[in-house]
Amino acid sequence: MDKILVTFFNNNFSNNKLNKMIMKKMTPAMMRSFAIAFALFTTTGPAMAQSNPSLTDPEVAHVAVVANQIDIGYADIAIKKSKDGEVVKFAETMKRDHTAVIEQAAALAKKLGVTPKDNAVSQKLLADADKTKKSLNGKSGKAFNKAYIDNEVAYHKAVIGAVEGLLIPETDNAELKQLLQNVVPALKAHLGHAEMVQKNYK
Amino acid sequence: MSRSYFFRSLLLIAVLAIGFISCTPTERDNSEEKGAGVPQQQEYTIEIKQMKFIPAEIIVHKGDKITFVNHDLVTHDITDDPGKTWTSSALPADESWSMTVTQSSNYYCTLHPTMKGKIAVE
Ligand SMILES: [Cu+2]
Repeated sequence: MDKILVTFFNNNFSNNKLNKMIMKKMTPAMMRSFAIAFALFTTTGPAMAQSNPSLTDPEVAHVAVVANQIDIGYADIAIKKSKDGEVVKFAETMKRDHTAVIEQAAALAKKLGVTPKDNAVSQKLLADADKTKKSLNGKSGKAFNKAYIDNEVAYHKAVIGAVEGLLIPETDNAELKQLLQNVVPALKAHLGHAEMVQKNYK
Repeated sequence: MSRSYFFRSLLLIAVLAIGFISCTPTERDNSEEKGAGVPQQQEYTIEIKQMKFIPAEIIVHKGDKITFVNHDLVTHDITDDPGKTWTSSALPADESWSMTVTQSSNYYCTLHPTMKGKIAVE
């Protein structure tokens, strides 16, 4: 997400030095929050200029697949480690649904003759996910369940923000755009489900 | 001819026959609905789309048939809430499942518990 966010700043604020300082100080959590703010800004604020940084469709497809794979990775850890039936059931739904989304994306990419292309956004997502997975793997019992479900709430919020505010606007192909739009209600239902489970760990 | 196809055909014939009989005008059908005659089975469809049951609330009569069609790209289920006295079990994308209504129920998807619906028998 770095490249896009940096350019977003550059296009919208004049002080480049300040922008770079802000970017350097951003933690993963802040990046997540910012993804949401970005989405809010683009939908409620002034229309983004067409000269904005662009993700090509093969890059959008790659980001979509990676974002789904990351949540499957978290789910695998929870299925293995958690003894809370509700947490495990939630994790199984994440694994099942995000696998279905990847299958759809792969089928569409094949149909369109598109090969998903690695990019800075995908790499940033994977780097953040690696840290989160290490942290999850270091926890157990109630602390694990809480960390897992808190992360699911935050992650789904960030992904919804990124899909609505970044991926959908960046997508040229109508079918890919439609697929992304179809995924949003599932992401929102996952968020609602995660928040239900989270109530047990307040 | 597969067994399930055979039974489905048989069911279709039965439904058509019932429809035919109840369309035949008879005096006693003019009595109150609960009264005499073979009750006519109505068929309803509830679409599962964008993680919602559409319509989320439906008013039917006992014996009516409801078919749930999953238009989403993820698997859902339809389960009595909270008793779990009946369930469709996993309903994959693009598949459908039918039930004959015996009583009013609230229902939900156990895989996505934010998805809820209601069947009211009048
Ligand atoms: Cu569901």
